[in-house]
Amino acid sequence: MKLGVVRETFEGERRVIATPEVVEKWVAAGHEVLVEQGAGDRCSASDAAYEAAGAKVVETATAWTEPELVLKVHAPNDTEIDRLPEGRALISLVYPAQNSELIRRLEAKRITSFALDCVPRITRAQPMDVLSSQTGIAGYRAVLNGAQHYGRYFKGQITAAGRTPPANVLIIGAGVAGLAAIATARDLGAQVKVFDVRPPVKEEVESLGATFLEIESEESGEGVGGYAKEMGKKSQDAQHELFRKEAANTDLVITTALIPGKPAPLLLPKEVVEALKPGSVIVDLAARAGGNCELTQPGEVVDHQGVTILGPTLIESELPRQASDFLGQNVTRFLTLLSPEGEMNVDLEDDIIRCMLITREGKTHWPPENIPQPDKPKSGTAAAAPVTVNEPEDSGVGKYMFAAAILGLTLLVGAKAPKDFIEHYTVFVLACVIGYNVVWGVTHSLHTPLMAVTNAISGIIVLGGILLALTTVSKAVLWLSLAAVLVASINVFGGFLVTHRMLKMFRSDKDRKGGKA
Amino acid sequence: MTEQMAHIVYLIAGVLFIFSLAGLAKQETARTGNFCGIIGMAIAILVAMAMASGLHSLVYAAIALGAVLGAIVASRVAMDKMPELVAILHSFVGLAAVLVGFAQFLKGDNSEGVEHLIHQIETYVAIAIGAITFTGSIIAWGKLSATLSGKALTLPGRNLINLGMLVALVYCGVNFCQADTQADQLQWLYWNTAVACVLGVHLIVAIGGADMPVVVSMLNSYSGWAAASAGFMLSNNLLIITGALVGSSGAILSYIMCRGMNRSFANVIFGGIASTGGGGGSGESKGVEDCQVVQAVQVADLLRQARKVAIVPGYGMAVARAQHGVSRLTQKLRDEDTEVYFGIHEVAGRLPGHMNVLLAEADVPYDIVLGREEINPDLAEMDVVLVIGANDIVNPDALENPESPIAGMPQVEVWQSKTVVVFKRGMATGYAGVANPLFFKENTRMCFGDASDVVEEVLGALD
Repeated sequence: MKLGVVRETFEGERRVIATPEVVEKWVAAGHEVLVEQGAGDRCSASDAAYEAAGAKVVETATAWTEPELVLKVHAPNDTEIDRLPEGRALISLVYPAQNSELIRRLEAKRITSFALDCVPRITRAQPMDVLSSQTGIAGYRAVLNGAQHYGRYFKGQITAAGRTPPANVLIIGAGVAGLAAIATARDLGAQVKVFDVRPPVKEEVESLGATFLEIESEESGEGVGGYAKEMGKKSQDAQHELFRKEAANTDLVITTALIPGKPAPLLLPKEVVEALKPGSVIVDLAARAGGNCELTQPGEVVDHQGVTILGPTLIESELPRQASDFLGQNVTRFLTLLSPEGEMNVDLEDDIIRCMLITREGKTHWPPENIPQPDKPKSGTAAAAPVTVNEPEDSGVGKYMFAAAILGLTLLVGAKAPKDFIEHYTVFVLACVIGYNVVWGVTHSLHTPLMAVTNAISGIIVLGGILLALTTVSKAVLWLSLAAVLVASINVFGGFLVTHRMLKMFRSDKDRKGGKA
Repeated sequence: MTEQMAHIVYLIAGVLFIFSLAGLAKQETARTGNFCGIIGMAIAILVAMAMASGLHSLVYAAIALGAVLGAIVASRVAMDKMPELVAILHSFVGLAAVLVGFAQFLKGDNSEGVEHLIHQIETYVAIAIGAITFTGSIIAWGKLSATLSGKALTLPGRNLINLGMLVALVYCGVNFCQADTQADQLQWLYWNTAVACVLGVHLIVAIGGADMPVVVSMLNSYSGWAAASAGFMLSNNLLIITGALVGSSGAILSYIMCRGMNRSFANVIFGGIASTGGGGGSGESKGVEDCQVVQAVQVADLLRQARKVAIVPGYGMAVARAQHGVSRLTQKLRDEDTEVYFGIHEVAGRLPGHMNVLLAEADVPYDIVLGREEINPDLAEMDVVLVIGANDIVNPDALENPESPIAGMPQVEVWQSKTVVVFKRGMATGYAGVANPLFFKENTRMCFGDASDVVEEVLGALD
């Protein structure tokens, strides 16, 4: 297939949909690739590099008109759509919910279009999920930008010149961006607190070493597809209250709360901003969708009573090469799915293709039917696993019935058996209880040695053989018991010896160092 | 020596055995524990010898012969053959119980009435349990040493067969107690032994190789009960105490193993995992072409860049005897300040704690060897996880797919880490015969080959 990589015209955009490394892969897969002049010059991918990778560098017009499939990052603007000949195909971000006019035009030009932002949230599709790969970068960069405007160290230090406490970072929204921000802030040495309306993410947050903030709320914020949903008024007030309290002790706030297809929720009203100490920084990653902070100016740096508010709208583009690399990888995976044999094959049976297809042959396919449910747990968190872990042999009823049976048996024994037997039975039951309690604590690594040692001591049956052999007069009994003594002794000696051998091997680091000294 | 004195010494021996088991619970005290056991056993044997004045020389000769045989076996056995050794030793206890039972019966006793009846029942039960332990352990040994097929042999209606044999045992028992002459009784005792032997074989033959850790610890428990029942028969408290200790210890180990597989004990014994051969997996059948295959050199690159590495070994490591290579790899990584941890699943290998013993043999310090529950929370921080010859214990389907035959079985959740490298001979399924979607995950790399060879190649590439 003939593929076209075009230059981004969106203001401030430095990314490109495919870096030379990615183009090389496409060429190797048998595609012919045309790259618009200067497509990658803002992310250190020169035209020469593309040529070296096997692409043909062409004029703008050619890059749009020649290929069967044009790939780019941003949705095409009006000029760009005009360049695209009728009936061709396009892969880019589309945001169909917000861009009905664009869809209408794509439909009118009978263009087959796929939206990179409509990858379904299923495991198989993860490698193609540009939203994840790009927002991860946004989270990372948000911390760095925040740090740049923050006038102190992140890491707590005690130096000859005095002592400085660690910075306190509050991250709101623990999606991909939030999690990346947590990790970055932790790496810089900050103390991190995190709030998210979806309780299940608590475990992920804590696994990154951050503290999870909770409010008493009956409402879970988990919406369709693993994204957050809009919250009711009451929980919103509770959130604002929580943030206002936290503000007094916070140096950097990063907000990442987005609701698909809706304006960003208001998380930081003016009074919360004013509760922050002067010198604090807010990075509002939702600026493009209106902002999580009341005072955010998209694309601007605002100073409100000493608090700096950053509202970056194209933060992924600040790491242009990294972001482009990831985009390229994502798109390559999708291309492989879309054209397994080199030619485009729009297989509507495939969940991923069906979800991403926006228009085709003059018809709109969005929104798709049968949105697949996200796989849970996403990338495998055990807490959300739908399969419950049974407690084998331990259901309450069974346990009590077992206890009752034992008790009944014991009483029966008491009623019928002679005194001698009762004595033995007493010893037996007590020994069972002792054995039960003693062995429970055994560490897993010693199971085998424990088994070998119990094996050795169950060779105590040798005693039976000895006593019988020594007190008998009959030949048959003598030989039988001698045989018993023989096999039991193998057990006794073999068991203890092998245990000893095993235990000798178990050594800790400490033992080792002691041994060398 | 008076009888009272002997009882006291038995008591001391019993207490020493308890200390022994308690000591074995922790690494630091384990050697003391073993020592306590040896002392207890020694004084018990000496006192028993001092109790009566019979043909001491013959008994000493039997013990000496047993000691020599035991010592030879124990000092020769390779650590990866430990499961077999433990299994065969169990069978000896069972055999001894049978022999003692017959000897006691032939010696006869002069009690009467209820007491006589109880003695008879005790003898009968001791022989039955001993015989089941004996043949069951031999079968387990055969399966573990691959003399017998590891596959579960499931006869149609096998639970009915088991039940039938149990009924037959009771029937023979009733007849045994009611028989008039010693010859008649002996006849029934033979029947008892025969049926119990067959029952032992049938019980264990029906259990698949993957469940062997449970079987071995269950037989461990049986051998304890056999000793305890012999104690009842001989009116010897020390035998009862020791038997009960061993019996309950083995039972707990079996329980722990079962929990490791999220299965009930009854399920392991009576209903093996159905071999669905990949069915019930993720619904998609995938092959080698769907996974990302890497070579040892690339694995070495990954390791060189990693700061934290976890190694999850399975039976494949034991089979390939790769533990020494793994140990040297660990040493090398640690020398370069990479943190290395081992994650051990309860049922990895064919014996409880099998992996730990192998790693200890290869000189891996035990404090970096963690259990499943200890390592799971930290796996997300691992840069690289090496899965060496493990399959059913690192299967995400068990947690994510309720249809999976191993659904609910706790797993070492390696897929949470940044990169997983799976060392594997081929794409074959594990013992449970279940497909493993781990191999097709985005962050999984497959490195095919014999575990030992691959580890050596990685070591070479790291130099």
